[in-house]
Amino acid sequence: MAQSLSGDSSRLSILAGAQAGVSEEDARILRGLRAGIEEAYEELIDRYEQQVYGMVYRLLGNQSDTCDVVQEVFLKVFRGVKSFREQSSLRTWIYRIAVNEAHNHRRWFVRHCRHEVSMTDGSSLEYTPDQGLSPFEQTLEGEHRTLIEQALTRINPAFQTAVVLRDIQNLSYEEIAEILQVSLGTVKSRILRGREALRRELTQRPDAGLAEVMA
Amino acid sequence: MNCRSAKRGQYSGDEILRDGEPSRSEAHQLECESCEPDASDLRAVRFALQRLPQAQSPVGLRTRLRVTASQERRLLLESDGSRFLRLWRRWKFRLNEMMRPFTIPATGGLASSLVLFSALFFTILSSTTGVAYDVPVLGSGAINANLVPAELRSGIVLSLSLDWNGRITDYVVRDGSGSIVGNPNRLRSNSNISLPEIPSVLAMAQPVSSDIRISLTPITYRQ
Repeated sequence: MAQSLSGDSSRLSILAGAQAGVSEEDARILRGLRAGIEEAYEELIDRYEQQVYGMVYRLLGNQSDTCDVVQEVFLKVFRGVKSFREQSSLRTWIYRIAVNEAHNHRRWFVRHCRHEVSMTDGSSLEYTPDQGLSPFEQTLEGEHRTLIEQALTRINPAFQTAVVLRDIQNLSYEEIAEILQVSLGTVKSRILRGREALRRELTQRPDAGLAEVMA
Repeated sequence: MNCRSAKRGQYSGDEILRDGEPSRSEAHQLECESCEPDASDLRAVRFALQRLPQAQSPVGLRTRLRVTASQERRLLLESDGSRFLRLWRRWKFRLNEMMRPFTIPATGGLASSLVLFSALFFTILSSTTGVAYDVPVLGSGAINANLVPAELRSGIVLSLSLDWNGRITDYVVRDGSGSIVGNPNRLRSNSNISLPEIPSVLAMAQPVSSDIRISLTPITYRQ
């Protein structure tokens, strides 16, 4: 069933069948935030800190930048909670802010700091859970993961965002459409193009065979 | 559906799908032998992405977020619903943040100026005001012959040393050719020149008890 969709988010939600408005749980948090109740702030951080961090980290690929962006995202959420019109879910709204902030940060970075060289490798600071693997397997796993992460940072940011939201954050097409404020068709197209670009990145590099990564 | 249209259909995004429901393009790619490797690669890419571990947020981030939340909550409660008050506090906070880089240099500048001023304070108080009079005198060979063997054809510098009572204790006369160390007694007893009046002239300004230099410059009149 082919449909043409406009960029209007509310109409988009209805056409796409996404859940419009906030859930009862979200509404309770929002009421608490607007009333300045401490527990509401705590709950919001508990629920969304990890999700937002994971998503922004995959978009930026740098731990310290990600922390700054996540803090900015939550600051905007706290300040904007009164003007949030509850036409989308709280998660979608927060993700939309996070994506925009990550893009702004990337633009700022490209303009100001692209020639800077970092003295530390951010990935070494990352917490690695024990998966019951041998040291060799862990090293191999780490190398493959690094290859994919690096390839992810080299593709077009629009495609990268769509791929991260879909394949890493496991959001539905409808939610991604709302977050990115584009039609469902565009979302699907971006995801496919993103995967294609990622495949090219992984297959064209001599040191990063796709088969090895997938093994 | 052929391979080309399957690929085009996939990218144009004109087939709107529900989650998990394969499109006609995707169904074709699963069956077609020439499309299958590409589709397989794409599935592998997706699988690899899904296997990426969730990035764990650092411990410090939670604290930072709590601090931010606490500040925002305090602002919200203090403003008591007043939008204007909230905006004012926010801008005040930003202004303070903006001024922070200037605080250390400004304080350093103030401190160093205070130190310099206090160091110079005593020097300024204890310094003696130097007085120099340029006294033009009419050239008169008869007068100065009595005092020093110098002719007022060129400028002469008379250096006097005064004690605390304003009395001349020593003097030196210098002209272009050399210098003559004079006798103060002779200077005082000389009545043909008005030099004994010098201390009183100096007293017009303020009491002086140091070395004084007086330049005597001849003025030539053309008759």
